[in-house]
Amino acid sequence: MLIRDTLVDGTATLSLEGRFDFNSHRDFRNAYEAMLNNPQAREIVIDFAKVDYLDSSALGMLLLLREKVDAAGKKISLKGLQGTVKQVLEIANFQRLFNIKP
Amino acid sequence: MKILVVDDTPSNAKQLEMVARKLGHETVFAEDGLQAIEQYRKEQPDLIFMDIMMPRMDGITAAEHIRTLPNEKWVPIIFFSALDSVQDVVRGLEKGGDDYLTKPANLSLMRAKINGFARILGMQNDLREQTHELLNWRNEAEEQARLGHHVINRLVDAGGLRDPLLEWFNMPTATFSGDLLCAARGPDGVLHVMLADATGHGLAAALTALPLTQVFYGMVAKGFPLASITQELNRKLKAIMPADRFVAAILGAVDLTHHTVEIWNGGMPPPLFVGEDGGIHKRWESRHPPLGILSPGAFSGATETYNYGHPGHLVISSDGLVELDTGAGNALDMAPLERLVTSTAPAARFRAIQAYVGDVLGENSGHDDISCMLVHAVMDEAPLQARPDQPDTVRSGPVSEWRLELSWGAQELSSLDIVPVVLGLTNQIRALQPHQGVLFLILSELFNNALDHGLLGLDSQAKDAEGGFERYLAQRTASLASLNQGRIEMALHLHMDEDVPVLDINIADSGPGFDFKGYERAQAEPDDGQHYHGRGIALVRQLCADVAYSGSGNRVWARYKL
Repeated sequence: MLIRDTLVDGTATLSLEGRFDFNSHRDFRNAYEAMLNNPQAREIVIDFAKVDYLDSSALGMLLLLREKVDAAGKKISLKGLQGTVKQVLEIANFQRLFNIKP
Repeated sequence: MKILVVDDTPSNAKQLEMVARKLGHETVFAEDGLQAIEQYRKEQPDLIFMDIMMPRMDGITAAEHIRTLPNEKWVPIIFFSALDSVQDVVRGLEKGGDDYLTKPANLSLMRAKINGFARILGMQNDLREQTHELLNWRNEAEEQARLGHHVINRLVDAGGLRDPLLEWFNMPTATFSGDLLCAARGPDGVLHVMLADATGHGLAAALTALPLTQVFYGMVAKGFPLASITQELNRKLKAIMPADRFVAAILGAVDLTHHTVEIWNGGMPPPLFVGEDGGIHKRWESRHPPLGILSPGAFSGATETYNYGHPGHLVISSDGLVELDTGAGNALDMAPLERLVTSTAPAARFRAIQAYVGDVLGENSGHDDISCMLVHAVMDEAPLQARPDQPDTVRSGPVSEWRLELSWGAQELSSLDIVPVVLGLTNQIRALQPHQGVLFLILSELFNNALDHGLLGLDSQAKDAEGGFERYLAQRTASLASLNQGRIEMALHLHMDEDVPVLDINIADSGPGFDFKGYERAQAEPDDGQHYHGRGIALVRQLCADVAYSGSGNRVWARYKL
């Protein structure tokens, strides 16, 4: 999985591309930890527009991130949900756990 | 590094020793081939310098012999000889030598050779250690997988899964499954099932599964409602598992007496109710996040109940089955499964699903565990036939007298699971233990009548209308949540009556009561079997020696003979 990050006006966006699964663990953590430690980043947005696969360990990583974001006093949102990624997140009712952006 | 120097000329040996010692290596010696073999065995050197022409046994023969000895590490042999033709060098290398130095020795070349081999041996050592470590890891992982497999198999091997109304299969991904299947009858004979899909496999999955099965089987046996069981499952998982671990699950309760299917779905594909006509009559979408994510305060155990008017099948599957068709994973497509179950005859449904999975798996291996449960929702199971613990002919001997009186206010009534709690108390009395199933039924019916009709004022006849049962339950949930006054009292009295042990059950509610005389007259008329209301109390009459209403209809007395 490829991860690109941008920081604009306090919003850090991690744009994911490819398969978001168990193998993405380290890359994903490194990417979000940089943002968690950056005082400029007040909100973290995960962009799924180019993600074509999501497994249950990816859901686990999102839950872990949610906890860390809460602890750091920041905000988190998911965006760019489409296709099967959207389906997987909806079945898990993640719209009740995360703010979803269009 | 320990170097074995084999030479019959002491000055040559001395020279090598000096070079080696300067480079920080230890040396041991042999004066001919035979001694070399002996020293090799005894000293276990890392590197050998071997002269060729020696008395008793020459260096080439010794090298050949050493190569035949068992050894787990590679020990390089450098021939060190005055024989300096190309043929000599080639012969030495062919006969087991790793390098060849000609005499007289060039000291810097000798140093370079020793350093070179030290480097190679160092790398070899690291590699061997890493391989060893890796092997240990693999053994450990395999051992853990084996343990997990064992535990999961034991957990899955529960008697409840052998229920005659249940068919199921579980095809794990690799070595074994993260899917857990459970089934058990409640004390009232309601068939409870659970299909849980834990994140991860092996020991990780087994770790999550353990508390799940314990809570499920424990609470089902005590007669707790589905909402309380899911609440407890979630609480337990949340408390012991890290944030990134969760369990998607479906819990179901199939009541074969009242013809209802109650489902809680958190993060799983929708279970289906498929009629014998092949129609999909009900689909329970995932309404909740999986278990183990939400805090107890945010969690909801809210279920959805479907009242089946005709027999059919409850089909529950894990996402492995739904993902199966694509091969690429992730397209959660229910369509193939739905086509399959709706197009096959009821009796062949389960086999058809199994065959379908087998066919697709033949082409590509499943990406996830694949599990499926099928419950035969029948109309005519006699209420108590499914439970082997039911005493029928055996009557108890004399009992000592026991009395219990309980009383609950509005707040307890709207928040506690009263009947399982009472059953927990009666279960302490040895004489009552074999009767838990019947007692649960009697107490549930009488207590629920007092609560639903006495205090909440719900009209039981509303259940008979189309969709009435679901409306009735919704209304009950709402009324119960807003209940702010009222009281229910229960008294249990175990004693001997004319040499027969009996349990008298008295229940009174603070509601207005009802026209029990009119009700009793209506009950005397033949039942057309089409009404849901009144079925419960008819069952109580069947199970008890006597049932009588008094007061304004807000008091009921029932006598059960042990």
